Amino acid sequence: MAEVVIEETRIIEESGEPRGGVWGFITYWGLHAWVLAYTVVMLSAFFIQFVKGEFPCPLCMLQRYGMILATCGALFVIMQARRGVLTTARYAQGLGLGLIGVLAGASVSVRQIELHILPGDPGYGEPFLRLHLYTWAFVTFAIVMIYVGLMLILMPRGIPQAPPAGSTARTVSTVIVWLFIGVVAANVIAIIFLEGFAPVLPDDPSGYTLIDQIKGR
Amino acid sequence: MILLLVIALLIWRGAKRGLILTLWFVGVVAMIGLFRYHVTSLLDLSF
Repeated sequence: MAEVVIEETRIIEESGEPRGGVWGFITYWGLHAWVLAYTVVMLSAFFIQFVKGEFPCPLCMLQRYGMILATCGALFVIMQARRGVLTTARYAQGLGLGLIGVLAGASVSVRQIELHILPGDPGYGEPFLRLHLYTWAFVTFAIVMIYVGLMLILMPRGIPQAPPAGSTARTVSTVIVWLFIGVVAANVIAIIFLEGFAPVLPDDPSGYTLIDQIKGR
Repeated sequence: MILLLVIALLIWRGAKRGLILTLWFVGVVAMIGLFRYHVTSLLDLSF
C-alpha cells in the first residue's frame, strides 16, 4: 500500500503539473467554501425544520440529497489533496461528481418551482428574503455549476494544494470536513424520524412518523 | 441518506476510488429512483 502511494506521488511530481502557489491555495479553500456553504445551508434547513416547525417534503429532502452528492465531489478532491495523491484526473473526477450532483439537485428544484409557478400559488413553506427555499436551492446549485466551470477553466494552474499536516490550516480543514459529515449524519437521523418504518417519506409530512408509530397513533 | 453518509465516511477514510465512485453512482441512481417515485403527475402548465 505504502509503495502504491509513493509511486503515485512520484507520478504526480514527474507530471510537470504546476502545483501550489496562489491558485492552488484559492482552489483548495474554494472547495472548503463549497463544503462549508452547503453545511450552513443544511443547518439553516434544520433551523426551519426544528425551530419554525416546517417539515421537509420529499422534494426538499431530494434537494438535500443533491447538495450532499455534489459536496461529496468537493470532499473527494480535498481528501485526495490532503493525502498528496491528487492528480489532474482525480481533480476532474471530483468536479464531475460535484457537477452531476448539482444537476440532479437543480432538476428537483426546478420541478418544485414549477409546481408553484402559477399566479396566486402561495408556494411550499415560508419564503426567505422573498424567495422560497427550493428557489434558493436552485440558486445555490447554479452558483456551484458556475464555480465548477471556472475551476475547470483554471485547472491547468489551479490544482488544489493542501497545507502541511499539523498546521492550523489543516485543523480548520478537518473541522469543516467533520461539520459536513456531522450534518449528513444529522440528516440520516432526521429522515429516520420523518419516515418512521416506511421506506420513503410521506408526500405531505405533518409530523415525525417514527414518534407517532412508537406511540401507536 | 445512510448511503450518502457511508460515502462521505469512505472518502474521509481514503477508501479505494473505485468503491467511492461506484457507491456515489448508486446514490445518484437511488436519487433518480426516489424522484420518479415521488413525482407522479404531469404539470398542467401552458403559457
